[in-house]
This record gives sequence, C-alpha cells and structure tokens, in this order.
Amino acid sequence: MRVFAQTRARGPMVMIVVMGFLAISLLHLLLTIATSQAVYELSDLKREKRELDTTSQILSEEVSSLSSQQNLLNTASKLGMVTNSNPVFLRLDDQKVFGKPKPALGSSSQSRNLVANSSMIKQAPAKQKASPASTEQPQQLPEVAEETLNAIPASPTR
Amino acid sequence: MNHAGPVSVRRVRLLITISVILVAVFAIRLIDFQIVRAESINATSLEKREVTRIIPAVRGDIVDANGKVLATTVYRYDINAAPAIVRPVERRIDGISQVESVESVATELARILEIDVAELLPKLIGTSHYVNLKKRVDAETHRRIVELGIPWIFSDAYQNRLYPNGAVAGNLIGFVGTDGDALAGIERQFNACLAGVDGKESFEKGVDGIKIPASTVLLQEAKPGRNVVLTIDADLQYQAQQVLASEVKRLDADWASAVVIEVKTGRIVLAAEAPSVDPNEPGKSPPEERGARVFQYAFEPGSTMKAITAATAIETGFANVATQVRAPYALRVFDHTITDSFSHPTEKWTLTGVLRFSSNTGTIKIAENIPAKTRYEYMDRFGFGKPTAVGFEGETRGVLNHYKDWDGVTNFTTMFGQALSVSPVQMASAYQTLANEGVRLNPVLVAGCQDSDGNLTGVPKQNATQVVSASTANDVMHMLEKVVEQGGIGKTTAVSGYRSAGKTGTAEIKEGSGYGRYYAASFYGMAPVDNPQYAMGVMIYKPKKVWTNSMAAAAGYQKILSQVLLANRVPPSTGKSPNLPTEWK
Repeated sequence: MRVFAQTRARGPMVMIVVMGFLAISLLHLLLTIATSQAVYELSDLKREKRELDTTSQILSEEVSSLSSQQNLLNTASKLGMVTNSNPVFLRLDDQKVFGKPKPALGSSSQSRNLVANSSMIKQAPAKQKASPASTEQPQQLPEVAEETLNAIPASPTR
Repeated sequence: MNHAGPVSVRRVRLLITISVILVAVFAIRLIDFQIVRAESINATSLEKREVTRIIPAVRGDIVDANGKVLATTVYRYDINAAPAIVRPVERRIDGISQVESVESVATELARILEIDVAELLPKLIGTSHYVNLKKRVDAETHRRIVELGIPWIFSDAYQNRLYPNGAVAGNLIGFVGTDGDALAGIERQFNACLAGVDGKESFEKGVDGIKIPASTVLLQEAKPGRNVVLTIDADLQYQAQQVLASEVKRLDADWASAVVIEVKTGRIVLAAEAPSVDPNEPGKSPPEERGARVFQYAFEPGSTMKAITAATAIETGFANVATQVRAPYALRVFDHTITDSFSHPTEKWTLTGVLRFSSNTGTIKIAENIPAKTRYEYMDRFGFGKPTAVGFEGETRGVLNHYKDWDGVTNFTTMFGQALSVSPVQMASAYQTLANEGVRLNPVLVAGCQDSDGNLTGVPKQNATQVVSASTANDVMHMLEKVVEQGGIGKTTAVSGYRSAGKTGTAEIKEGSGYGRYYAASFYGMAPVDNPQYAMGVMIYKPKKVWTNSMAAAAGYQKILSQVLLANRVPPSTGKSPNLPTEWK
C-alpha cells in the first residue's frame, strides 16, 4: 500500500518535470527558430545596406560631377552665357547707378573650361556606337535629340 | 510484504554504476583529447584557425569654406577571373534555362569593362585561379558586372581618393599615392586629421582557406577620418584659375598665380595658380606643377615693395603723402646707375607721385635717410623673410638678408623690391596689413579639423600685430588709390563701381649670376578702399607676349577682383578718394 501511495504521490511530480522539460524544449526551439530568422533578416539587411551604400556612392559621384565647376561652365557656355567682369549696381533708394555698364562679351578662352578634371569623362551624348545589327540601317536619332543636346547633359562621370 | 527497500537500493546502485561509467567514459575521452591526441588536434585546429583582418578606416574629406567637397574617398574595384573554373554560364530567361558560351559572356564583359574582347578572351584560358581583367573600375561598372552573375568572376574592393573638381585648388589639396599614402599638400600636411583609425575583425577559415560564414567577430570598429575645412571658396578659386590659365595662354607666360586674403580675418579666399595639378592624375603634370607655388616659390617683387617702403617712411616720420622730391630718370649710386622704367626729365613729385609713377629714383630720394636697420625691421614685421603661419609644406621663407649683409647698392635696391624675394602669399599678406589699418593678421588656409558632429578642432589662433599705425596704413592705401585712378596701367585694374588701390610690380628674374630677359609682372592691391574687404595680388611669370611687362598682371587682376567682389556681394563704394597731389611746383 505504501509503494502504491508513493508511486501515486510521484505521479504529478514526474508529470511536472516532463511537462517542464517539454516546455523548455519548445521554448528553446522557438527561440532558435526566431534567432535563425533574425540572422537571415540581418544578413538580408546587411546586403541591402551594401547595395544602398553602392547606390549612394554612384549617385554622389554623379552629383559631384554634375556640380563641378567645369561641368557648370561647359553647360553655361552651351546656353550662351559669358562672364561679366564689369558689374553695375542700382541703388533702389535713389535709383543711382554705380559703375559703367559695358557689354559682357566674354572671350572664347574664358567661355570654355581651362581647368583640368580627369574625374569627368566626357561622353558623346547623341552618337551611339554602331553595333553589327545597326551597320546596315543607320539608326535615326529621334527628333527630341536636338533638344536633349541643349539641355543639362547627363553626368559625365563613369 | 515490504519489497520497496531492496528494489530502491538496487535502483540507486544501478544509477550510481551508470553514472560512474559515464564519468569514466568522459574522463577517458578527456585524457584522450587533452594528452594523447593533443598534438594532432592542435594541428587540425591550425587549419581552421582564427584570422585577424584590418578594416581600413575611411579617409576624411577636404572641403572648402562652403562645405563643397574637394577630396573624398570612394570605392573602386579590381575585376578578376579564375580561368581554372571558366565554363559556359547557365541563365534562366523567362523561366527557360539557357547556356551562354564563354565567348558570349566574354563579349558582354568586355563591353562593360570597355576593353577589347580579343584582349580579354586569352586571359580566361588556363589553370590559374586568379587573373586581373581590369583595375579600379567604378561602383556602377562593378554593379553591372555583379548583375551578370558569372560564377568565375570575382572582385576586390579598394578605397580610392576622388577629387570631384579636378585641378580646382589642386595645388593646395595635394594628392595621395595609389597605396593611399598622402604624398603632397593638405593631404600630407593634415594627414593626422584625415586618416582615421583602422579597425580589426577576426573570422575563422576552413582548410580550403574560405571564410566560415557567420564566424566574423568585430574586435575593433574602424574610426573614420575627420574632414579638413579650408578657408578658400572653391568657386572663386576656379574662376581665378580660369582667368590665370587664359592669361598664361594669352601672354605666353610660364605660369601665373593669384592670392586673395580677407582683410579683417586673414583668411585666404583663393590661392590659385595655372597650370595646376589635377590630383586625380598627378603623374600627368610635370614635377614643378605638382606643388603650390603661391607658397613655395619666391620671386623678386619689384615695385610692389615701394608701398612697404612708403609705409616705413611715413611711420618713421621721414615722409608724408605730400613730401616733395626731385626725381631724375637716372641716379648714380656706388658705381651703379639706377633708372626709372621710362625716360623722363627730372620730375617734381610728391611721395604720392613717386608711387603713382612708380619711380625708383624718387623712392630712393624718399627713403635714403631711413637707417637700413629700421627698414629691415619693418620688412620683417610685414612678414618678409619668414614662412607664413600657414606653414604649408615646403613653404619658402623668401630671401631677406640681414641689413648688415646689405652692400651699398643693395641698401637702395631693396627699397624698390630688388635683392630680396617674397612668395605671392607673403606679398598679399603685406597688403592685407596696409588694408587693415596697419594690423597684420596671420594668413589662414585651414579653418580646422571637423569631426562627424561638426565640431572644429585645431582652429589656428589668430595673432594680430600692429605693424604701422592706422593713419600710416590709410595714407599708403590712399596713395595707391591714385595708381588705380590715374596710372595708365592701374586704371585697367579698376572695377566699375568700386574704389580700389594697388601697385604694379615688374621684377627681373635671376638667371645664373645675372638677370635674364624675362620678368615677373605683378599687381597687388586692396578693395574697396572706403571699407577694405580684400587684399589681393596677381603674378604672371615670364610673360613673353607683352607690350610692357608691368601691364601683364593687370587684366587678370581686374577680372578676379570683380568676381571676388560680386560673389561676396560687397556693396559698391559711395565716397570719393582724397585729393592727394602727385606733383609740386
């Protein structure tokens, strides 16, 4: 009777231990799955960061090239702009003019860039390399090409 | 009835026995690992030992006063192939698997890398695991290569220095070598600020040398370099370089320089020269064009020094703006004949007239009674004969021999800028002193070292020195205004709407023991005279296509000054210049 009673008394204890063990195992499994998931996610995010860093670098280089003084001068020259070294000022209070107006002619040497910048690689905007397929039938440029030539050119940085 | 006791004891004994056996097994294994097979296990572990790798710190940027980036760090990639595993590439296009031949893939590669396919194909043949196809391609090209998904193409990333504005301020910025070592200019002088601290990481690699995934441990994070902030305005620097390059070509000169200093702060707004090195490709420039001649080259200033002599004469009470002299065309001193640059009868000029007509003989008449020691001390106080506080690498101190070493003729020739030499920045700094009521400020090129939070450290301390009194400095400036108002050459430097002052300088250039046939022509001055903001100078070295040498620098000076005044929105002048007679009867 005592053995039976002892066995009956141990029953819930064993159940608790087994259930506890199972619960811990399950929790461990869930944590492992969650961690693994996070590792994959982290890996994906790192890859995405690398890609975005690269994109950022490409865009930064393009912006730097476009905003370089050499590119701005070339673009301004294409638009017909010249440097004026004879500024004239108008004082609004009494409409007095300071300085003598002179036409800003701009010498040809100053209207083109004279300062080297090898980080800019100029590309012919409209010309395309003839591919074997296009040698027989020269490709006609679309009508908008003329407008494109006069617009701010695409980044020369490559 | 009671069987529980023996059963329980048996169970306990069984449990103890199993435990002892388990412990014994573990103990035996432990002895086996730690003692018996220790050597072989260690050897095996060596094959997959931890590898420590340096994480290069990203070098800081060099920016101008407005934050425009003049030097930065980007990544470039070497594109490599492993010929041993080159094979046709399988691709899935619209869900259909296609195999592209090596030739077809190579054609695609060659197009992106902009190399000849005939040059590329032979590189893909062999048993090697490494062959370089192209070095240092940019990020976009690298991305296009990666997108091809070729399993036998690899790449190595490198940090590369990029100078987005090319030769703009290239003389000041300097450059780095292909290995990233700073070789010249600000890059080298401020390397401690620009260079960060490399980081460290470790990872495990297998027997095959391949890194074991997820084994990386960051030991020390890389600390990026800080930025160097310059005082120059890159846009004005570019404008000045454009003007100088144009003038060098027009005048068939060797080179030219321009320096502009903010009168009230000593900050250098531009320090340009042409030709100037493009730091992206320093090898394309000859050695003499890879430095900063504005700091490193000394030339005999000639007549621009007369302003300093005049200031000394007024300050020491030997003259004033109206002091009268009889200036002959030629003057005999110590077996030498000193003449003016143009023929004239003996003229009755005031000190103002002496400067207006740039008379050597008149200058001697004005300053001949000033002790050499006094004149030497004033030249020293104006900053000649010693490097500026900028401390640019390789900066010249110029030549200002001690007055005790001056012979009889040198005592006179130093009055009008011969037998001594100065750098373009030294002379601009002297004119800054005259424009700033006699207070000399140290020229400043670097505003400081900026961390990622925008905090500036290493800001140079300004040291203001009263060289001459405010009234003396203003007197000299007003006399120099007459040069611009009335002088044949000075007039051409005037900027419409502004009162400006300045002085021409034409100096012979030493060749061997004597002087050569070419000159260094310069013009130094300040503007606006009613509220001086900028002191500046332009020097044209050995112009060959000129009607008169002293005229060579004037056009460039006018163009640069007008841009400086405009760009900084300096209000036009309102007052009139004082009436200072240049002649007497």
